[in-house]
Amino acid sequence: MAKEKKTRSLRIMNMHIPYHIIMILWSFIAAFPLYFLIINTFKVKKEIYTNFFGLPKKWTLENYQALFANSDFFVYFRNSFLVVVISLFMILLLGSLAAFALAHWRTRFSRAVYFFFVIGMMLPIKIATIRLLQIMKALNTLNTLFSLYPVYIAMGLPTAVFILTEFVHGLPGELYEAAYMDGAGRFKIWYKIVIPLIRPALATVAIYNLVPIWNDLWFPLIFITKESSKTVLLAVTRLQGQYTTDWPKVLTVLTMSALPVIALYLTMSKSFIKGLTAGAVKG
Amino acid sequence: MKKLLAIALAALMALLPVMSLAEGELTMGSWRTDDTEQVNALLAKYEELTGVKIVFQPTTSTQYNATLRQQLDGGIGPDLFYSRTYTTGAELYENGFNVVCNDIPGVKENFTETALDGFTAADGNIFAIPFAAVSHFVYYNKQIFADNGIEVPATFEEFLAVCEKLKAAGITPLSNGIAANWDILECVLCGMVPNYITAEERVAYEKGEKKLNDETWVKIYSDFAKLVPYLPEAFASIDNDQANVMFGLGQSAMLIDGSWSYGTLNGDDYDIDVGFFPVPAPEGNAPGFSLHPDFGIAGNAASAHPEEVKAFLAWLASVDGAKITAEVIPEGFLPLINADVAPEGSIIAEMNAQGEGKNADRRFVWNMMALYTPIVEQLNAICRGEQTPEGAADAVNAVWEAELAK
Amino acid sequence: MTAKSRTSRAFQGGKTIRPGGIYWMRYVIPALVFYVVFMAYPMLDSIRLSLYEGTAGTRTYVGLANYVRLFTDEVVSKRFWNAFFNNWIFFAYHMILQNALGITFAAILTNRTMRGRQFYQTLIFIPCTVAVLVTGYLFKIMMNPQWSKAPLEAVKLGFLVHSPSGWLGDPGTALSAVSLVSVWQWVGIPTMMFVAAFQGIDDDLIEAASIEGANAWQQFTRIRIPLIIPVIGMVAIMTFVANFNAFDVVFAMETLDGAPDYSTDLIGTLFYRYGVAGQHPVGIPEPGVGSAISTSIFAMLLCGVIPTLVKTQGKE
Repeated sequence: MAKEKKTRSLRIMNMHIPYHIIMILWSFIAAFPLYFLIINTFKVKKEIYTNFFGLPKKWTLENYQALFANSDFFVYFRNSFLVVVISLFMILLLGSLAAFALAHWRTRFSRAVYFFFVIGMMLPIKIATIRLLQIMKALNTLNTLFSLYPVYIAMGLPTAVFILTEFVHGLPGELYEAAYMDGAGRFKIWYKIVIPLIRPALATVAIYNLVPIWNDLWFPLIFITKESSKTVLLAVTRLQGQYTTDWPKVLTVLTMSALPVIALYLTMSKSFIKGLTAGAVKG
Repeated sequence: MKKLLAIALAALMALLPVMSLAEGELTMGSWRTDDTEQVNALLAKYEELTGVKIVFQPTTSTQYNATLRQQLDGGIGPDLFYSRTYTTGAELYENGFNVVCNDIPGVKENFTETALDGFTAADGNIFAIPFAAVSHFVYYNKQIFADNGIEVPATFEEFLAVCEKLKAAGITPLSNGIAANWDILECVLCGMVPNYITAEERVAYEKGEKKLNDETWVKIYSDFAKLVPYLPEAFASIDNDQANVMFGLGQSAMLIDGSWSYGTLNGDDYDIDVGFFPVPAPEGNAPGFSLHPDFGIAGNAASAHPEEVKAFLAWLASVDGAKITAEVIPEGFLPLINADVAPEGSIIAEMNAQGEGKNADRRFVWNMMALYTPIVEQLNAICRGEQTPEGAADAVNAVWEAELAK
Repeated sequence: MTAKSRTSRAFQGGKTIRPGGIYWMRYVIPALVFYVVFMAYPMLDSIRLSLYEGTAGTRTYVGLANYVRLFTDEVVSKRFWNAFFNNWIFFAYHMILQNALGITFAAILTNRTMRGRQFYQTLIFIPCTVAVLVTGYLFKIMMNPQWSKAPLEAVKLGFLVHSPSGWLGDPGTALSAVSLVSVWQWVGIPTMMFVAAFQGIDDDLIEAASIEGANAWQQFTRIRIPLIIPVIGMVAIMTFVANFNAFDVVFAMETLDGAPDYSTDLIGTLFYRYGVAGQHPVGIPEPGVGSAISTSIFAMLLCGVIPTLVKTQGKE
């Protein structure tokens, strides 16, 4: 009897009711503006203002049709996607290599290198635009996506090095020790042991950089004028006039533009789950 | 992740051949994404006539100045670009980015001194071909006016009476707000000023011969202050876009805005019947008309196609070119050329007619740019009830005196 | 209890593997090359601009004149200190509210026995994916009494409306409104980092503590928090640095001038106005002043970041 009571209370405890209450509350706060965002993409401009909070009186697919009718938008989406995926891959690759080294090689010089990376987070990159423009011009990459990759990779490296070094440094040392004893080289340790263990951190870095790269307008605005190399955000500017903006279409495009980001987020956050299971096995 | 990358790289390789620049095409930079259709029509006409293809590449207006500058600075600017007037436009010329237009055929013949004024640098060189001017109007909802038995007011006093009558009837008279921080000065105040100050007097203020806190200015600010009770309750949160929407939806009877808004207000977005009149002059003052050179077209001095650029500019400066331009130019932009190019019965002609016989002048603040921000600040303070007209005039005058003393 | 905590002492301290700098440089150089060519060099070179006046064609050396102007000119210094002060408030909202929410959510979301964690975490993150332009536009409408007063009063939520000026139109409330929207949008980022940090904690420790009779709160404050101090420090630094470069949210919800009455002017908008775009409508930037602003802030950030780094990181 007593035992049964205990399991039941454990079961109730494992339901985490107060936690669910907190999370549901915040979910509402997080979701309600998104609800308005989505319902308003089915309205015409007039109705956004006369009936912002309500469901559309007359559902219109006009905004979506206009988007899909313009085949260029597929090009823009593809460009944005390429820019994000390639930049993130490079950030993670270069960042984790550097972090692996900087976490284990502890001299005054390595601290200086580490700090040199961290400094990069503290200045607005816009300040360097003209120099970057000159560099891209010299490399003959203007008007192609190759003018964007290096900038975004460089932009992501400070946070990558900063976060990853910290996480690599926090890994239990005996894991390496054992592998090293078994005769594994350090490079092998990096990709066989370190990379899987810092998956959550890698996902963190990727997601942290995902949003600013996807939503960056500044560099495409300056580096790219050719239609075939435009990114989604850059294309949206076409809908923004000097005095009037076609808001229903802007909302529609940017709602659609959030989808790939969410998809990428879900892909990467799988690493969290994997991290969890790894932890569970380990525990 | 590796698979993703492989796919991405393959896709990228497939893309590369697409990215080649077409030879012999010119580009035109602009902050008016709004006009893409019209300008494309114009450029298509031009291509038909000459065989030269110009690609219109507008960008977002809020970032145009910044991005154009970076591109020109980096040597990748467009061959032709929309040029601002006065100081802003001149500054790019002073950096050596503009083709000098003095010898472009037609420039000296087809434009008046006044029209060229906004496009002339301090050294006397012309840095762009004048393209369009704007004016500022009170837009009104004809239906609301008719329903309330209201006539178009002839004086500022009558205008206030109209506002009062509308307010008493429970209708928001004006939908202007202060959240955007520019239209309250550029459209409202600059729409009023020509009714109080002539072009000659403006020059006297610029030179410091007249004080910006004299009776005239106190009167301008106090007349402005009289409009505040007729703004929407939430005017502090209303920006230019929302002010237009309110008026368009019939939630206000009037809106003081630029001539450029006519197209949208009268367009498919809204179902209202729009009329317009300039902000009326107070009794006893000769009515003025605000006519402001808004933009020109400049050539890039570093263009790889200097001959084509000059040929296009010459075409814009010719009466024939201006006629074609006037046909496709968006409603509310007034041609600057000194020839009757406005198509009969067009909105351009109607707007021009509103200014006929009146003392036309540009936005007074454009040669005193140091005053722009201080005046916006003062107007905001007046609207919030934190400043008196006298106080505003004194504050603005103090800034200008300090500027002149430099 | 600390034997298995965050330390790689055996690895780096043991005789077994401890190669020299030349070895490790091979791992660092690829990142370093990208970073130096495309970021560090262009940016550090731009600091030099703070000693010059004028734009491209008319640039002249003026020594420290831009700094003198920034700190003594009546108008410029007033704007600078105003933006500086506003920015601290903006930062405080993020540092206190956003990071506290982030830690709370992360602590909840790392309960292994709780269901729906992935769902909640995704929902928390979704606002981050929406372009700031759009959130700004939506909140502008929602907070404007003109559009929201009647519908909200109809459902008895009238207290959410700040009448008549609107939250964004009142200089006394605009900065808080902008900050809260920003907190709402970006809370997913610290949450994610803290989730990653909490997951790194060895389960044995928590288990041992719960056997010893520590309740959830004690486990949280005495074990989980102390163990993620380095990550807290890291998030604090990133919040600090990101907030003093913030720009988009004000641009989308207010104006580049930080309307109303400069109450939402931040260092980021001030820098953009002076250094990149130029004041509307003239639009002639002063890259020298802009650079002086960002260099001064850079110096301040360093003063904040170095002690935090020393305090929270690499303690051995």
